[in-house]
Amino acid sequence: MNFGWQLLWRQKKAVAGLIIVTALCLMALFAPILAPTDPGERVGRSHQPPTVEHYFGTTKMGRDVYAQFVWGARPSLAVGFATGLFITALGTIIGLVAGYFGGRTDATLDLITNAVLVIPNIPLLILLASFAGTVGPVAIMLIIALTSWPWGARMTRSQTMALRNREFVTAARMVGEPAWRIIFVEILPNLVPLIGINIVGSIIYAIVAQTTLEYLGFGDPLNVTWGTMLYNAQNSSAIIVGAWWDISAPAAGIALVGLGLALLNFTFDEIANPQLRSGPALSRWLRLSRLRKRELEAAR
Amino acid sequence: MRIPLRRLGVYFVAFLFAIVMNFTVPRLMPGSPVDGMIAQLGPRATPAAIEAIKARFGAVEQPILGQFVDYITGLARLDLGVSVKYYPQTVTQVLARSAGWTAFLVTTAIIFSLCVGVSLGAVAAWRRGGRFDAFVSPFSVVLIAIPPVIIGLATLFTFGVTLRWFPVGYAYNPDLDPGLNFTFFGSVFWHAVMPVLTLSPYLIGEFQTTMRSSMISVLGEDYVTMGRAKGLGETAVMFSYAARNAMLPVLTNLALMLGAVFGGSIVTEIVFNYPGLGLTLFTASVARDYPVIQGQLLLMTMATLGANLLVDILYGVVDPRIREERA
Repeated sequence: MNFGWQLLWRQKKAVAGLIIVTALCLMALFAPILAPTDPGERVGRSHQPPTVEHYFGTTKMGRDVYAQFVWGARPSLAVGFATGLFITALGTIIGLVAGYFGGRTDATLDLITNAVLVIPNIPLLILLASFAGTVGPVAIMLIIALTSWPWGARMTRSQTMALRNREFVTAARMVGEPAWRIIFVEILPNLVPLIGINIVGSIIYAIVAQTTLEYLGFGDPLNVTWGTMLYNAQNSSAIIVGAWWDISAPAAGIALVGLGLALLNFTFDEIANPQLRSGPALSRWLRLSRLRKRELEAAR
Repeated sequence: MRIPLRRLGVYFVAFLFAIVMNFTVPRLMPGSPVDGMIAQLGPRATPAAIEAIKARFGAVEQPILGQFVDYITGLARLDLGVSVKYYPQTVTQVLARSAGWTAFLVTTAIIFSLCVGVSLGAVAAWRRGGRFDAFVSPFSVVLIAIPPVIIGLATLFTFGVTLRWFPVGYAYNPDLDPGLNFTFFGSVFWHAVMPVLTLSPYLIGEFQTTMRSSMISVLGEDYVTMGRAKGLGETAVMFSYAARNAMLPVLTNLALMLGAVFGGSIVTEIVFNYPGLGLTLFTASVARDYPVIQGQLLLMTMATLGANLLVDILYGVVDPRIREERA
């Protein structure tokens, strides 16, 4: 564990990503202190540019964009993170079960996984959301999670299949450990790096999908999130009238979370898969080997 | 050319899943959507139209299995029902009007991103650890994480509204008559620039990442060493030995990503008011035009499955090892 943290800390990209994500989470947590104004309250005239009183200007309805930005981080991040965890849990369990048991269980689960994988997600989300009417955060979470677990399931399955016939698993089976114990106690800990990548990737996907659904107007319009802020800004044609602050605040929030998580994921990927590494260590090694080659050639 | 039965089974299950979703979801929802739709039709609600909607959404006295059989036979005759918003037009007519524009947008974006992403990935893998790689590869991962809505709005605001370089709506200048002449094609091209640039970053990021990792594993193969041993130039080895073989995982990824690309195109078309499937879907979802929403899910599922099938066939053509295995 300690080694893992050291490895993470040495990566500048991961540190930057961690700082961005933590800062946004802290902002969401301390929303009542950072923005005491009620995000739904009318505080000024319509579409006022940023001033000292209203740092990010006002919306069409005369609401404070800064307050909405700070408060909107709460549901956006909470739903994104919770959905990401849910997607990963579903994918990991299905992948583990399919990979460990093999045979007919695997054939069925793999068929379902591949089938859900090829169905276009967003159109399916829109179908479900449009019949549900405006959907609250929990419904959005469920809808996204139930349509997007297959990526994780596929990765977990192939890893589990590789681990299934290793000695320690065979030994556990000989001793007579029950299947659930072998899966969760023997195999699962070996999948931790993969699960880490899966969680971050799923959170990214969940935030993208959530923003898309809310931008399309399926979110609850009274609930202030970054997605509904975009939807309201679009509906009040903020871009056409030049009220860039109305759109850029939520857009920047979403882009920043994406950036932070992507930087983290890039590093996780490099740690789990050293072949893909591109950092300073690799370039040093490449330079050394090039130098050695030149020396050898010179010696000849 | 044979495609393994297993893959066909997957596509069949996926298609069946989409149909079953379309069939069951409206029947499970609390509060029948049928009354809402009939109210939506207003004075246009002829008995025939009401009958058609009721039959499609299960508000009839018939066992559920019989309803399902009727539903499937309807689909087999390409009967997707009537649109509520554009009544008396059928869903097939409404979708046919806009599908072409989406196909054009998505294909252009894919070809453009494939060229850019694959080259960036190949060069990054070739100069692994260099300055180019250290910048481009993390940047690609970031591109994947930013929703198309954000990129679309930023592009629209910068190049459409502030700089006024590109038109901010429609697929071509509405003053022009569609025809086979340069003015019309020029207009279509000019209107497609911003939507294509919005759809591309995600694709470029995905292609770059896939291409880089697959190229890295290919670089260790014997045939690359062989190419070098023959004394071929850097570019020759890179493109005709390594990149050609590293392309295969990119192809698979492309087919699987098509669903996400459709999702992106829905949003892009709404942002740029582009008359494709996405905009049709958006107006349909605002008007709660359920038959159109269902129709587009089926159409996009079919397109994705078609693309996957195409890639399966292509794979056999490109990679002789797979051809051997299947023979």
